[in-house]
Amino acid sequence: MTKTRPFLKSILFTLLFILIGLPFIPLILSSVSFGWQWPNILPESFSFRAWEYVLLGSSGTWQAVSVSLLIAFIVTAVNILLAVPAANALVRYPLRGKWLLEAMLFAPIVIPPFVAVMGIHLTFLRLGLTETVFGVVLAHLSPTLPYMVRAVMISYNTLSIDWEDQARMLGAGSLSRFRHVVLPHLLPGIAAGASLSILISLSQYLITFIIGSGQVVTLPILLFPFISGGDPAIASAYSLLFAGIAILTLIGMDAALKKYYQNKKAGAENG
Amino acid sequence: MWQKTKPYLLLLPAVGTIVLLFFGGLFDGLLKSLGYFPAIGETRFELTAYTDLLRSSEFWESLFLTLRVAALSSVIAGVLGAAVAISLYLLNESAKSGTTQVWHRLFQLPLTIPHLVGGYIIVLLFMQSGFLSKILATIGFIDEIPDFPVLVNDPFGWGIILTYAWKEAPFVSLMIYPVLSRIHRSWRDVSRVFGAGNWSFIREIVLPVMLPAWTIATFIVFVFTFSAFEVPFLLGVTYPSMLPVYSYQLYTSGTLADRPEALAVNILLAILTILLGLVVYYFSKRWNVLKGWD
Repeated sequence: MTKTRPFLKSILFTLLFILIGLPFIPLILSSVSFGWQWPNILPESFSFRAWEYVLLGSSGTWQAVSVSLLIAFIVTAVNILLAVPAANALVRYPLRGKWLLEAMLFAPIVIPPFVAVMGIHLTFLRLGLTETVFGVVLAHLSPTLPYMVRAVMISYNTLSIDWEDQARMLGAGSLSRFRHVVLPHLLPGIAAGASLSILISLSQYLITFIIGSGQVVTLPILLFPFISGGDPAIASAYSLLFAGIAILTLIGMDAALKKYYQNKKAGAENG
Repeated sequence: MWQKTKPYLLLLPAVGTIVLLFFGGLFDGLLKSLGYFPAIGETRFELTAYTDLLRSSEFWESLFLTLRVAALSSVIAGVLGAAVAISLYLLNESAKSGTTQVWHRLFQLPLTIPHLVGGYIIVLLFMQSGFLSKILATIGFIDEIPDFPVLVNDPFGWGIILTYAWKEAPFVSLMIYPVLSRIHRSWRDVSRVFGAGNWSFIREIVLPVMLPAWTIATFIVFVFTFSAFEVPFLLGVTYPSMLPVYSYQLYTSGTLADRPEALAVNILLAILTILLGLVVYYFSKRWNVLKGWD
């Protein structure tokens, strides 16, 4: 065993470097480069010009970031409201045609959602839903909702009816049963579903482009012209910002959940 | 009565949303692909869009390219993902569990990177004057930019394949790691008693145990790559293009006549993905792959 560990570690380090480290090196270097001729491994001179343009200039970055996050959060909130009752019904009630209902809810995981969006585009146009944030929110619902339902279902699977019955016997009404018994148990599932929902909504390009018609500018819409042949330094800075926002959202979600449980634990110990 | 209808009422908002926005969209697209479009006075159903499509060589080339890219990316992602998962499993056996957790998190990073960014990372690494080409030139392996092969915006689709292999490898390892962690520690000890080294332990025990989950994970990557748009749009060429991009090109070409054809491509794509999805579902049920972490 002692012999294999260094060998194993070196394999893992190599894999880690090739898969995780190496891909980000040119992205980071290019974002701070000022001219980078072939075949130099490092840029000839460095400058924060691209970052200044992206973060401070009149490039519309923060506008796009807030539109992206606004859409992602509305989509996720709607998903939670739709998914919690649906997951409850699917897990805890005997249903006729359950397989069909599940197949319908999970269909957008398999069938690419842009097919539906392209199909509904002209109808949206007639209803005046194109070029609006509301229309884009509607378009983002079907690719994200199945993941939320799935995540909440997993939580419901481990929630025993007995716990709710106990609360009922102690005199808790249906609302306070939900708030104090069901919701705390569902929260990790909701958080996992929300992370996926936010991540998927943030990275949609085609759907947003078709329904938003270029008027609803989210981060991917803003990014695309730069990465398909624009200034590489600016494209790299935008890419890093975009990836950073996605990762930060996930970490923030995780931290909020941990904090919630810590507060709960502290509350239970004190009270 | 209330008890009987209650679950259906609970499901109504979610199912209604999907029916209206998703199946409504599919149906709307299906009607228009058949040429039924009352707004411009077309109320007849005809199959011209489909027959034109099936007769055009562009469609078949696009389908062939899509299959090839999806197959290669899923197999490469599968091999990389398996290598990562097995290494992590063996490390977990010999180290404290905390360190493996950190390793695991690090390897999942590409999953959280948005697709467009993933595509751009591959552009910077693999384009003819990209980072790898610069490294090879500095160590004297190549002399000029054209010596480096065209791997981005190439007709074969290498750029797309590399992006998906990179982005989906963590997904495969995420899917098979829980299966590996169910291999009992005592099996390892027994195998050692019988004189098995690391390699024969992997070959005789680890690989057979993970095979069903690995096949399903790889196939999910295949289905996903099959219908993806962003990366092929960024890293492909105009001709031949992958099916979703081909549909988009037809849809935005400007002439109304091409739109039913674009929607017909979509409908065929939807049918193909449903068939592929059913295959995944059938085998994952049959092999009981998803049991254990539901």
